[in-house]
Amino acid sequence: MYEGKNSFMKDMIEIQDLYKTFDRVQVLNGLNLHVREGETKVVIGRSGAGKSVLLKSIIGILRPESGSIKINGVDVTQLSDRDFDAVRRNIGLVFQGGALFDSLNVGENVGFVLDEFSKMPAVEKRQRVAHALSLVGMSGIEEMMPSQLSGGMRKRVSLARVLCMEPKIILYDEPTSEVDPITSDAIQRLIIEMRDRLKVTSIVVMHDMNAAYKIADSIAMFYHGQVIADGTPEEIRNSRHPVVRQFISGDAVGPITEDESMKFGHVK
Amino acid sequence: MGHMIIRKSTLAVEGLLRYVGQLTLLLMRILSAAITPPFSAYRILSQARRVGPGSLMIACLVALFVGMIIALQMAYMMLKLSAEIYIPNVIAVSLTRELGPVLTALIVAGRVGAGITAEIGSMVVTEQVDALKAFAADPVRYLAVPRFLALAVMLPVLTIFAVLVGIFGGFLICNFKLSISSHMYWSMVSDSLAIKDIVTGLAKTAFFGIIIATVGCFEGLNVKGGADGVGRATTLSVVRSFILIIMFDCFFTFIFYFLFNA
Repeated sequence: MYEGKNSFMKDMIEIQDLYKTFDRVQVLNGLNLHVREGETKVVIGRSGAGKSVLLKSIIGILRPESGSIKINGVDVTQLSDRDFDAVRRNIGLVFQGGALFDSLNVGENVGFVLDEFSKMPAVEKRQRVAHALSLVGMSGIEEMMPSQLSGGMRKRVSLARVLCMEPKIILYDEPTSEVDPITSDAIQRLIIEMRDRLKVTSIVVMHDMNAAYKIADSIAMFYHGQVIADGTPEEIRNSRHPVVRQFISGDAVGPITEDESMKFGHVK
Repeated sequence: MGHMIIRKSTLAVEGLLRYVGQLTLLLMRILSAAITPPFSAYRILSQARRVGPGSLMIACLVALFVGMIIALQMAYMMLKLSAEIYIPNVIAVSLTRELGPVLTALIVAGRVGAGITAEIGSMVVTEQVDALKAFAADPVRYLAVPRFLALAVMLPVLTIFAVLVGIFGGFLICNFKLSISSHMYWSMVSDSLAIKDIVTGLAKTAFFGIIIATVGCFEGLNVKGGADGVGRATTLSVVRSFILIIMFDCFFTFIFYFLFNA
């Protein structure tokens, strides 16, 4: 199992024996995953493998049936919703579709957390929002409404909204899907920059293997609700596990069959 | 056959009770969030603007015609009894106690309740509600409370306007068609209304507002699936609000009857 280049670093996220079921479909099936402080962990796996469910469980939108999720040493599965809120303010989730609030403009979306939970002066808030937007290369669009933005722009604004919180952990749900290759590359650079400049710990769910090799410190592969491989990009690239090999080569023939995701369900 | 009917009725009653129970749980969460800080006057006022001024014209228009219809229907009967002088009483009492509150509530359920479900439901399917939770913002506090307070306050206000316009509609018919003088009409109206009529009418309306907001938010927050799910939830929201409004109206009428007439 992967020890990583930062093996001296402590675990920021420690997931043990996690189980989650939807409509009698076992989505997480005793999942174990460790993410070290400051590490970018890319999670790969077929649709319906439970990747998004994992992200939503870490941030407390979904509650697992059993198992533990330790964030910075605190088991969040035992926390009440109110106590969880304090943990949530250190975690940012970049949703797949952006999930920007339709009724608010870009500036209000990005500054949402500041507006709701801080007593920061308006001028300072505006500066923080402008700074977060400049980090994602979207300066000066504060007055635009989410409906006026393209898919790639929405993802970037969604990332800016998370950056505005200055979180210690960022969870990305398919940040490069449904965007053009240039935007995809820009988003990948941003994820690397967040790690290098802001030292954030990240979990990135994605399907694009080239992007995964580029941004990951380590890659974990989900299969049947469990992690079947976890290693450096190099170790994953050279893995002999038949399921991993089939997935990274994108081969339709192999141990993963076409109807498998139907059995395990597509659960977001 | 008999067993089947009993079984189906039992299931229907069980379903209704379960639904009312779920609504009550949401209502408790809304109330607890509504009375604890932080409060957002801006969100409440923006919702109040959507509920109040937005529905005023349609509520008044319907009430105007209903007032005229009651006057004409009553005239049809009362003229036979030479009792047309009591038509203003009937118009005032029926509009204040019953038709004004119920019709306004039904209009608002169709217009605003459906809108609440569609809006919150769309936010659920586009993960905006999940985003609220991820940012530690309680969706009940952020989405349900402003709509709830706006409806509980604005529905009685709308009803006051609707009742006044409805009574004016009755006046148009009484004055121009039935030759009841203006002075006579308005003095009969004011004599026939007791404070309890106005209070019970408005109390009911506030409760109807609570029903519309709670059902609208519940259906919206529980949307499953995509656009199809939002459409289904919106229809359910209107249908269920209608049923609950009429059901609770019957219940309140019953209670008030025994409270004031027993």
